[in-house]
Amino acid sequence: MELMAVAWAYWHQFFFIIFAGSAVGFGCGVLISQNIVRMAFYLVLSLGSTAGLFFLAGAEFVGAMQLMIYVGGTMVLLIFGVMLTAQKDFVNMKTHTHDWILATVVGGSLLMVLLFAAFGSEDWRSPQDPTDAHIVDTKAATPLGLALTGVRVDKLDDPNDKLNQGKSGYLMPFIIISVHLLVVLIGAAYMARTKKLSHATGLRSSRARLSVFKMEDEDEVLEEEKYVVLRKDKRATNPLDTNGNSTDNPDNTDED
Amino acid sequence: MAEFFNEYIFGDGPWSWLGYVIAALIACILIIHVVAVGAMGFIWLERKVAGRIQDRLGPTRVGGKFGWLQTLADGIKLIAKEDLTPDVADRFLFKIAPYVAFAASFSAFIALPFADGVVANHVNTAVFFVLAVLGLEVFGVILAGYGSGSKWSLFGAMREAAQVVSYEVPLGMCVVVPVFLCGTMNLTTIGNMQEGFITNWLVFNDPFTFVIAIVYFTCATASVNRAPFDLAEAESELVAGFHTEYSGLRWSLFFMAEYGSMFLVSGLAVILFFGGSNGPIPVGDWLANLLGGVEGSIGANLPSLGAITVGVIGVANFIFKGAIGVTVMIWIRWTFPRLRIDQVMAMCLKYCVPIAAFCFVGAVGWEVLDLPTPNNLDEKSRYEYHEKWSQEYLKTQRESVPTENDTHVQQAVPAEAIVTTVAVSQSDLDVNGGKQ
Amino acid sequence: MSATNIDDPRVIEFDVRTDEMIINMGPQHPSTHGVLRLALRTDGEIVSDLEPHIGYLHRCAEKIGENLTARQFVPYTDRMDYLAAMNMNLGWALTIEKLLDHDVPEKGRHLRVLICEMNRIASHLVAMGTYGLDLGAFSPFLYAFRERERILDLFEKTCGARLTYSYIAPGGATADLPVGWTAECSKFINQFKKVIPEFHTLLTTNAIFIARTTGVGILSPRMAIDYGCTGPVLRGSGVYHDLRFHGEERYTELYDGYEFDVICADSETGKYPSSHQEVYKDGLEYPDVPSDAILGDCWHRFYVRMLEVVQSVRLVEQSIVKYDACSGSHGEPIKLTQKLPVGEAYLETEAPRGQMGFYVVSDGQSNPWRVRARSSCFSNLYVTAPLCRGVLLADVPAVVGSLDVVMGEIDR
Repeated sequence: MELMAVAWAYWHQFFFIIFAGSAVGFGCGVLISQNIVRMAFYLVLSLGSTAGLFFLAGAEFVGAMQLMIYVGGTMVLLIFGVMLTAQKDFVNMKTHTHDWILATVVGGSLLMVLLFAAFGSEDWRSPQDPTDAHIVDTKAATPLGLALTGVRVDKLDDPNDKLNQGKSGYLMPFIIISVHLLVVLIGAAYMARTKKLSHATGLRSSRARLSVFKMEDEDEVLEEEKYVVLRKDKRATNPLDTNGNSTDNPDNTDED
Repeated sequence: MAEFFNEYIFGDGPWSWLGYVIAALIACILIIHVVAVGAMGFIWLERKVAGRIQDRLGPTRVGGKFGWLQTLADGIKLIAKEDLTPDVADRFLFKIAPYVAFAASFSAFIALPFADGVVANHVNTAVFFVLAVLGLEVFGVILAGYGSGSKWSLFGAMREAAQVVSYEVPLGMCVVVPVFLCGTMNLTTIGNMQEGFITNWLVFNDPFTFVIAIVYFTCATASVNRAPFDLAEAESELVAGFHTEYSGLRWSLFFMAEYGSMFLVSGLAVILFFGGSNGPIPVGDWLANLLGGVEGSIGANLPSLGAITVGVIGVANFIFKGAIGVTVMIWIRWTFPRLRIDQVMAMCLKYCVPIAAFCFVGAVGWEVLDLPTPNNLDEKSRYEYHEKWSQEYLKTQRESVPTENDTHVQQAVPAEAIVTTVAVSQSDLDVNGGKQ
Repeated sequence: MSATNIDDPRVIEFDVRTDEMIINMGPQHPSTHGVLRLALRTDGEIVSDLEPHIGYLHRCAEKIGENLTARQFVPYTDRMDYLAAMNMNLGWALTIEKLLDHDVPEKGRHLRVLICEMNRIASHLVAMGTYGLDLGAFSPFLYAFRERERILDLFEKTCGARLTYSYIAPGGATADLPVGWTAECSKFINQFKKVIPEFHTLLTTNAIFIARTTGVGILSPRMAIDYGCTGPVLRGSGVYHDLRFHGEERYTELYDGYEFDVICADSETGKYPSSHQEVYKDGLEYPDVPSDAILGDCWHRFYVRMLEVVQSVRLVEQSIVKYDACSGSHGEPIKLTQKLPVGEAYLETEAPRGQMGFYVVSDGQSNPWRVRARSSCFSNLYVTAPLCRGVLLADVPAVVGSLDVVMGEIDR
């Protein structure tokens, strides 16, 4: 009974541990897994758990933004890239020992720095009684939106005269980033454009494309009545020869 | 609802958490009913409507003359099917994909209000939340296509992912218009702002919003992969696209996710443009007064009979209008042929996005120039449209904390993530005290 | 990518680039109109090469013909183009009559025109319905089949069968039309004329349908003639050629005294003949050619079939009148063991899918020495390969559907 009371009192910690544990756990899954597509999927789940942490902190707007931008945008892009290029060689990626050591050193030192910074900051120590946790309806979207258009409404009571006019917003960086993104979009669209091929159907294109598949030495082959099986794609299904045996053995392709 | 449980059953002591858990469970069960039973109903509706369009009857045998239980019979058959996994499939991804799709479709209902106050979680940025979660459904599709291990499935999955992600752009642009008309992202507030006669609905606000509603519906149809945008399921071309290898329960989960999403985007259209849970004639207040008033916010007392009646009527209105939206999608599917993928993309980038952008500018201009609108959004202050429970709460807050002048902007929430009391005295940061 | 047996010395397999896929469409596929296997080489979405593989429905009809008499072979012709079986029967009957130099009485001639044009309507309805189905439009299929059911009910009254009739036999027809059949047929035609605009609304003028079919699979007249395409495929490219006008005398005299048009776009104006207005005496308009449509694309082939349906309606109305005015015999079929004179005969007829020809060589016995069927769809199908190079994957069913192939006729 008391245990449940304790559990309830610390409900915020409980859910925090679930979300944070899942974020960290799936992050470790990204490190440990050897299948690249599964790595990408674990990253999706890890970022989704981070969004859960944001919701737990009451920052609904940022949480939804995390879902939309990271999970819905960046990860979709990543998964597209991974799936379209995941040939047999890259599907299994093994991390070698020297990679592990280097990663531990670099990542570990970053972790140390972050931990020092986190525990050293006054604001980030929670002095309150953790059993008093509430999720606050922060209504953060409006001040965020206003700040992006130049009006810092949360600084109107600031003693600093330069700040309490409410004009120290982020309009300029916002515009710069927007234009920057526009430039990136246009550049990407330009680079990914289809090169000038005759896309028409029918007679107009048949001559153009036919040449791509012309066999080398085609005329000689026909003259000498010999056939050459140019099966370079080993993954094609192998037909059976007249005796019903599989011609899987490459030596079976005879050249007269 | 949780407070209700805690008041009457569990008290404030150590068992109070059970109230929250039960409230959450009830909300989950209700939403599952919406998605699953709704899917069952909509599949039946689809078959009947399709039959009638094609000059034949639909199902007529199971469950009486109209085949009400046909989908149930199909569901039982699907559950009883053999569970196949292709040999070349990536087992983990193959198995988890339908659940991801279903989870995304289900989660978005958390923030969707069925009536004033009838919502699983009162999310203040509900519009954004719903859009964000809706975009996660594409993962289920991609994983299904890849995990099946066949070229055809991968084709279908990639096409569908490209389509859904592209159509999120004009969808977002269309959704922003009601948001700025109402000044809030809270779906309950947007729904409440359209109460009154049918002319109060945002779709009739100005001609640009009318066009935006139509563009929204088109983009929503594309976003849930319904015909004429249903390349991913194009049976005649790729057999069944990304879910070729799925059979039995897994396949049925994909379809529940699809019908759930159809109802979701339809419901979102209803709230944003078509009045939410309000009917064409305002009977809510009159009826509530007849039955004894709507006071008693949920949590202080048992909700009064008036409040319950209004709530039930609101939910019925919402579901009815959402079902009409779904019926229109079904109607379109069985009438038109299918677009090619390049035509779908051209439609998005060359038609939907420019039209949405132009109408967005037009709607903004209409408001800025203060052109006449048939609704009375301008007269009332936005606070009056908030959910009743939050208005009560805010009233107490206003009385306890010294109120600031309306023209002075309030301070936002302090930076600490966990606070003990809510320090916001007015629910929205309103620069000029109401719309002008 | 060809036959799997490596016996043929000319079999060469192509190199496959790593970014390409070889995909099979069929033989079990909802939109390959029968058991057809299309081997496509695609890189993602664009088809770079296409090879049709046939033979899945081959039943050795021609060889069997050497062991049967002329009348016994009639059911085998039914099963060639099973959607237009009466026209197949007609082709065979005319060829045998040409060999025997036998003439059919007047009533039988009108009977044949009536039945064959009704079957042309039914066949084009299937073509149109399944074409919509290929493109994702589910409803026109059912509307087309609803009308076709009525035609099939009428055919069931004449010969007892709904698909493989064996009705038109050398010498005439196996039995005369039942009493009252022509009245029911008129009733059907009057009702059908009102229904035709529905199909135009659903398909021909539908923006999505136009977007899917215009500019796709453009077949130039030169190429059509070179590949031996016939029928609506040829006329859809603007070549003015219809065997009912330009064929052999033994075939064209069947249509003596009938008024109808060849549906082919005028080479200068690009417009179709508008005599169909007479069919719609209430002034309904036929849709115009959309601006995106290029002569020879899928939309034109589809439109030719739609207009041919109207011309067939005209022919049926005229033949009902002429048949009712005639008296006499419908043409008794020849004897079961009729000996065929020594010689050979070849006759092509205008079947709904193209020019269907039958060739008979006889050495004096009752069984022919050689039977050969020239299939229209066989030549029409091979134009798929050049047409589908460089198109998107979704255009392949559009092209194949517009050529309207039936595998029974190709494989025989």
